Amino acid sequence: MKKINQYRILLLSALICLSFMVAAPKKIKVYLVGDSTMCLYPASRAPLTGWGMPFANYFDQSVTIENVARGGRSTRTFLSENRWQPVLDSLHAGDYVLVQFGHNDEANQPQYADRYTPLPDFKTNLAKFITDTRSKQAFPILITPVTKINFDKDGKAKETHVEYSAAVLEVGAQYNVPVIDLDLKSRELIQQMGPKAANMLYMMLDAGEHPNYPTAYRDNTHFNDFGARKMAEIVLNGLKEQHVELADRIVKGFGAPTVNPQVK
Amino acid sequence: MSIKAVKAYPETGWGMPFVNFFDSTVTVTNYAQNGRSTKTFISDKLWQKIADNVKPGDYVIIQFGHNDEVPTKAAATTESQFKENLLLFVNQTRAKQATPILLTPTARRKFDSTGTVVGTHDVYAAIVRTVAAEQNVAMIDVDKESQALIQKYGPEDSKIFYDYLTPGENPNYPRGNSDDTHFSELGARKIASIVLAGIRSQKLELADRIVKKPAMKMPVPTPTTTPMPYEKN
Repeated sequence: MKKINQYRILLLSALICLSFMVAAPKKIKVYLVGDSTMCLYPASRAPLTGWGMPFANYFDQSVTIENVARGGRSTRTFLSENRWQPVLDSLHAGDYVLVQFGHNDEANQPQYADRYTPLPDFKTNLAKFITDTRSKQAFPILITPVTKINFDKDGKAKETHVEYSAAVLEVGAQYNVPVIDLDLKSRELIQQMGPKAANMLYMMLDAGEHPNYPTAYRDNTHFNDFGARKMAEIVLNGLKEQHVELADRIVKGFGAPTVNPQVK
Repeated sequence: MSIKAVKAYPETGWGMPFVNFFDSTVTVTNYAQNGRSTKTFISDKLWQKIADNVKPGDYVIIQFGHNDEVPTKAAATTESQFKENLLLFVNQTRAKQATPILLTPTARRKFDSTGTVVGTHDVYAAIVRTVAAEQNVAMIDVDKESQALIQKYGPEDSKIFYDYLTPGENPNYPRGNSDDTHFSELGARKIASIVLAGIRSQKLELADRIVKKPAMKMPVPTPTTTPMPYEKN
């Protein structure tokens, strides 16, 4: 009798395990396709951080982040250097492709001719990422280029990607693709923080502060560890606002707010 | 100082970015743990691991106070216990021909009604300074330097250095967070820079092992006028 009960318990536990296995979400990959503001950096360049780096820390085990973003790339050069085709080849149904370009596409100064992409071509390239991704039953998500920090003399954060952000929104609407307006949201964030605190999101270092950057360093485009995380949070919350299925795979923390008894 | 679990991010111990400062001759082993005082670091056998592993020429960077100084905590130590334990760390490190470095605790974010930063470790930081002076140990006054840092930014802006999150901002803290003790990535790195500056100014041999890079070729543009060069790779 005791033995039969043991078998019952064993069978029951097996069934419970099985039900969890069935319920477990399918493993998927999320490809991050974009430029220097998104990509991975080695420790030798710390604290320079692409927002794709902290972004990867906030998903459950069903998600693998493949950050294939590269510094200096526009939609045009990402395609011409054959960086997109390998992504497309490895895409599976249910995967996601997050696309953020603009910084290099819009760089029309002569020294950036190697990456400049005229606006019509930028739209065509975004459309290619969308249709290619969908051809594999994977999901494209467009992201407007994250803002540079540029305050006018009245303390107002200026728009830094006007035409190219509008183009992302336009293509997103045309193809009915979710768009996360990172340009707008990041600009709102730096406006709310004000110039002094917001500068600390970017690669602004005093001389001697970090041995990777011996001299003073002022970069109004690229993020440090802190800024990259703030940008990742905007994208994570954008996924939730767009009700993308991927948002269900974001970790659900239960961290209770910390209050310091000594301080309060 | 400690290495945080991913589920606690963005809380960051300053020992995490600190490892990026050194060349390949240096291995940083971070034994620090949340909640530990000098007493529980010993009773939890964490100190023994260091005593067992430390080799001649190594450095032991010691920073306590937050949990020693709060009498209501189980980990609390009396002032004399705190001093004795610091002495134990110093003496055992030196017995192994290694070099101890004492650090005062990192500042908590506390301001008075006029916006002036208020020290929260005055007694225990003073003990660290006394032990260092009496024993002729290198000392980095992180409490003082980090208070100066947050004073520079003031009551509101200084929140960027600590683990402050609005509700819904970060998946790990759905209800937000207001932590005036533990650091964000930024605060952790700024504290690490304070320690780095101390290592340099004390002219420790360890300073020779800091990463050496040529000055960046990148120009220093003014954000409003000069187009930024874009990262290539």
